[in-house]
Amino acid sequence: MNKLTRWIRNGTPWIWLNAAAVSACILLVVGLLSLIAVRGAGHFWPTAVQEMVYLDAAGKSVKVAGQVTETETVTAVRLRESGVEVAEGTEFVRRFLLKTGNRDIYSSDFVWILEPSIVSTTVPRSTVILERDEWGVFIGGLVGVRVAGDLQSSADIWDDFQDSLAYANAIREEIDELQNDEIGRVNYSLERLRLKQRKLEISGEDDAAHLADINKAKAILQQEYVGLEEKLNQMYTELRRDEVIVNTVEGQELELPMASILDAHRPNQMGFFRKIGYFFHSLWKFVSEDPREANTEGGIFPAIFGTVLMVLLMSVFVTPLGVIAAVYLKEYAHQGLFTRFIRIAVNNLAGVPSIVYGVFGLGFFIYTLGGSIDKIFYPEALPAPTFGTGGLFWASLTLALLTLPVVIVSTEEGLSRIPRSIREGSLALGATQWETLWRTVLPMASPGIMTGLILAVARAAGEVAPLMLVGVVKLAPSLPLDGNWPFLHLERKFMHLGFHIYDVGFQSPNVEAARPLVYATALLLVVVIVLLNLVAIKVRNRLSERYRGLES
Amino acid sequence: MTQQETQQVKSQIKSQIKSPIKPQNIVEGMDKHPTAVTVSNLNLFYGGAQALQDVNLIIPEKQVTAFIGPSGCGKSTLLRCFNRLNDLIDICRIEGKIVLNGRDIYAEDVNVPELRREVGIVFQKPNPFPKSIYENVAYGLRIQGMNKRRELDETVEWALKGAALWDEVKDRLNDSAFGLSGGQQQRLIIARAIAVQPKCILLDEPCSALDPISTLKVEELINELKSQFTIIMVTHNMQQAARVSDYTAFMYMGELIEFGATTQVFTNPRLKKTEDYITGRYG
Repeated sequence: MNKLTRWIRNGTPWIWLNAAAVSACILLVVGLLSLIAVRGAGHFWPTAVQEMVYLDAAGKSVKVAGQVTETETVTAVRLRESGVEVAEGTEFVRRFLLKTGNRDIYSSDFVWILEPSIVSTTVPRSTVILERDEWGVFIGGLVGVRVAGDLQSSADIWDDFQDSLAYANAIREEIDELQNDEIGRVNYSLERLRLKQRKLEISGEDDAAHLADINKAKAILQQEYVGLEEKLNQMYTELRRDEVIVNTVEGQELELPMASILDAHRPNQMGFFRKIGYFFHSLWKFVSEDPREANTEGGIFPAIFGTVLMVLLMSVFVTPLGVIAAVYLKEYAHQGLFTRFIRIAVNNLAGVPSIVYGVFGLGFFIYTLGGSIDKIFYPEALPAPTFGTGGLFWASLTLALLTLPVVIVSTEEGLSRIPRSIREGSLALGATQWETLWRTVLPMASPGIMTGLILAVARAAGEVAPLMLVGVVKLAPSLPLDGNWPFLHLERKFMHLGFHIYDVGFQSPNVEAARPLVYATALLLVVVIVLLNLVAIKVRNRLSERYRGLES
Repeated sequence: MTQQETQQVKSQIKSQIKSPIKPQNIVEGMDKHPTAVTVSNLNLFYGGAQALQDVNLIIPEKQVTAFIGPSGCGKSTLLRCFNRLNDLIDICRIEGKIVLNGRDIYAEDVNVPELRREVGIVFQKPNPFPKSIYENVAYGLRIQGMNKRRELDETVEWALKGAALWDEVKDRLNDSAFGLSGGQQQRLIIARAIAVQPKCILLDEPCSALDPISTLKVEELINELKSQFTIIMVTHNMQQAARVSDYTAFMYMGELIEFGATTQVFTNPRLKKTEDYITGRYG
């Protein structure tokens, strides 16, 4: 007893408790990150395709081919309740979720298979997985390739197929370029001409001379467009030149146009290192490509781009505003009841739920400010809104407002950490208060400002709720940054990783296909935030290294 | 100490002063030097508390004047009146007049930054800016609008030489000022102060954070600087005041008790209070 009280009184249990709390935190963080990393990265790993023969409920043997994406143990009781027959005496049954692809044939591309019902499992080396521009992937065998109507007869069909695919992909790339660059530019110019004409109509200056100018420009553009369209049609014809003949595992043969196939691989023939290569190949495609098929296929590049651009713009808005406000509060304002009240208000602002900011952004920025901007500067585009609808600018501004308190508070802290003697030293040399601020105090407070910015970036990059109201969409037709003047289109809607997770995970018709994408997107969101933060931290460390010293 | 006790002590001191003569009247030999600063009837309050009481003083030009006295007697406060650094304290209120170069520095139309350019100050602890050695010295010059490289180079060199630091730092002017030792930093601050060529330099216990050798160097420097600048210094160290200064003012509890030539104050103080302090009976 005596020993126990001594043990308690010397504080050892507290140390253990503290250590346990820290361990729990670390475990949670590591667990969270590794779950997301494993599930997310697993999506890109080329798992082997297994051919399984199993007996269905009616006792008929069925053949399927697919990749095992999940293994799960369920109780026999649960299965019996849902009407599945399970042999007496078994308590637990393992089951596999097989991704069979071929949604156009089977109507669903996933199937659950109970382990006891499996008759045989093989891993045929020749199975191919074709990534298509619709209906998800195709899994099956390669029968032949038809180039311009002629069935190829060389020994290796895979080689023929690869050649044909490379040809199709090259044309597809050209088509994309043509569509995005040249046709995009012509369309953009035509739209601007239309707006110009409308503007002239509104101001009553649509006299013959002006109209003739516009019509002339329009005619040139339209002629250009016709030429481009013709070129595009030719390319499409060329793209549709080849076909590939494939068969499913149960022997159904079908012809797929080469134009519909984007990529192909044979996981069962890949060695470990080839698999690693393929892993990075598909990871890169995920990061660099546009989404397809209601976001369940393809990449998430626009979402990454939108997130980063929005965070950068937010930083551009919030830093000067927050710093100026903090400088006024700390350096110029009379320290009294009123400043104390403002400080409390600012701190409370940080606690306002983010969706409230979204509502404010929608109500004030978009409808009031944006509406007025449209009326004054863009009357020609009405009734279609330009700034009177959600967009990159308003989203960044809303998030800047949301993160403003953080920046103000940490800038104030940074300012108050500067020793009095430094300010006095500067003032004593004949500097005014402004010169002292600008030349000495603010540079020395810059690490504090950066700390605020780091916190702001971390908060803004992960925010979703307010963005849904002020400009994020599930699929943006174009990036907010492109080659058409003025290059940065602040009024455009954009995609965002956080919203993408929500959209893919909860708004997608194909739950099983979307699940790995949710993890992969979440992983990327974390990576993007970590990268943004690392950059900011690096800058801060450099600044504090420079303005270090003089501890007093 | 409560207000009451303070009053008590003050009346005790007053009773010791046999003949309450205005200090400026008792300084002999002062007419040899032109006047740099005249302080008349200066009262200073921090909120309700009075920190300086009816101070009258004439400080001679291009001489070293030392303020001595126990802690909290108001000598630093008085010093900081000369370049209006007390303005930074919200609750500080000043009555009376300080005339510098024939101008009342507390008049309404005084340009405070300009005044501070004429009255440099060096604090107890060195306070270099987080910049290079060169930029520290050039700071005041840049604020005055000097930005020609040659002119800056010359003035920085002149100031560093004036502060007896040039030989030690001439090869590393672009290094951070924080890399210097305490004594070097303090001389850098002096260089920074003289670079803008003030009329008067205030030293607020400039050696209290320094080792003996650095102290010696700074004291030698003060001796040299007085040929060009009026120097007013606050010191805790009586020997230092005796060694360095030409005139000494003894302050106690916000009042100027005695002011005179240093030799006279230290060898033949007029007032018992001064004698007690100098001989170390209190303080």
